[in-house]
Amino acid sequence: MRNTLAIARKELTIYFTTPWAYMVFTAMAFISSFFFIGYLSEFKEVQLWARQMGWARLPSEYKNLTDGVVVQLWGAVLIITLFVAPFLSMRLFAEEKRQRTFELLMTAPVRPIEIVLGKYLGGVGAISATLGLTIVYPLILAAFGSSESGSTLEWSTVALGYLALLLWGATCMGIGMFISSLTESQMLAAVLNFAVLLPWWLLSFLTRSAEEPFRSIANHLSFGVQVQNLIKGVLDLKALVFFASLILFSILLTHRSVEAQRWT
Amino acid sequence: MAMIEVKNLTKRYRDRVAIDSLEFAVGEGEILGFLGPNGAGKSTAMKILTGFLPPSEGSARVAGFDVFEQPLEVKRRIGYLPENPPLYPEMTVRAYLKFVGRLKGVKDLGQDIERVARATGLFEAGVLDRLILNLSKGFRQRVGLAQALLGSPPVLILDEPTEGLDPRQRAEVLGLIRRLRGKHTVILSTHILPEVKETCEKVLIIHRGKIVAHDAIGKLSGGEAGLEDVFIKLTAA
Repeated sequence: MRNTLAIARKELTIYFTTPWAYMVFTAMAFISSFFFIGYLSEFKEVQLWARQMGWARLPSEYKNLTDGVVVQLWGAVLIITLFVAPFLSMRLFAEEKRQRTFELLMTAPVRPIEIVLGKYLGGVGAISATLGLTIVYPLILAAFGSSESGSTLEWSTVALGYLALLLWGATCMGIGMFISSLTESQMLAAVLNFAVLLPWWLLSFLTRSAEEPFRSIANHLSFGVQVQNLIKGVLDLKALVFFASLILFSILLTHRSVEAQRWT
Repeated sequence: MAMIEVKNLTKRYRDRVAIDSLEFAVGEGEILGFLGPNGAGKSTAMKILTGFLPPSEGSARVAGFDVFEQPLEVKRRIGYLPENPPLYPEMTVRAYLKFVGRLKGVKDLGQDIERVARATGLFEAGVLDRLILNLSKGFRQRVGLAQALLGSPPVLILDEPTEGLDPRQRAEVLGLIRRLRGKHTVILSTHILPEVKETCEKVLIIHRGKIVAHDAIGKLSGGEAGLEDVFIKLTAA
């Protein structure tokens, strides 16, 4: 445990002393703010429209700021995460191998699983910091928005959606860490990770014309489908188990890959 | 008692044999010079001893523990400086040494860092709070050495520790290694022969993965021919 924390701490130190993390933060803040402004003005327009045409005809997803702006925004942040997470996970093992510091870790009195968990914790810390930037949007809405009935935002929905974001970020880092453990090249790790995450996300879309039962299976495995309920604030236990097992599986695979060093 | 015991150690990469049935022992407190031309298999042997690489055949024991069966026990007792010092350029020297010390579970880490930094001249040079990125090759090599000395492990495995140092730094590092005699068991690899004469009691010469000589330094270089001639003769062909 002590070793795991020492490694996690080192990972975070390095993340925050290299430009990569700041580039990822900037990208996240910049792109998500565009989406935020876009969803907010769309919400305003729909409200104006409803004022003239009658509230009864207002589509249900525009009834409040939570569904009209935050849930939509979380959807966009999920996609941004898919694009930026590989830039954070790529260095986890690839950089150690290229720099020959992998030798230091592997000859220190540390178990391979402690190395893997330490690195994973560090990576999750970095992606959580990135996602943490987006908390500012619901806070802005809560401070400046208003609602005719009850509080401005439905906080339980917002929080569950945010939890889904973190879970998704942690999944991206897990898969990214495994891919990073397979190569010495950071760029290759990032590209490969991206090539895995994107089709997996779109699995249900890519197989929509496939035959049954293949289509249903693909639907169940698709990231995009699994995360939908959570994002909307529905506590979907199946999705939680799905992502948790993916994370666990990635950690185990990475452990195998690091252990394999002792057998080659 | 032998601190390091190597039996029939062989490492093959597909059909290339990197080291071939090495067999030797190093007594407690001894300094063994590990000699051989480039590519003779010195680094491979050291990587196996430190538990980084598995052997294809044979066994190695450090302080009575098998490197493959009880790797953690072995790793706790070894300080290792690989051929390329394993440094994180983004960290300061102090942060780096703290990290390695934590991994090794060193007690009184602050004091121990000061001790190894003084021993390697990092303290006097005032580079502890500089980024490793900005250090010269000589300083990086010394940071690597400081890292190996952290926690005073009973066994030190140093792969070309004087590589990249200027003559004065070389003399300092060799002096440091000489002072380890008796307290630490050291394997020192190098291809600079005068260094071996100054520091080691025993010499092991390997060539193409095989031991071609293993004797006290006095016997090898004592005859008419010096150590250089012996080395060139043994590693010819």
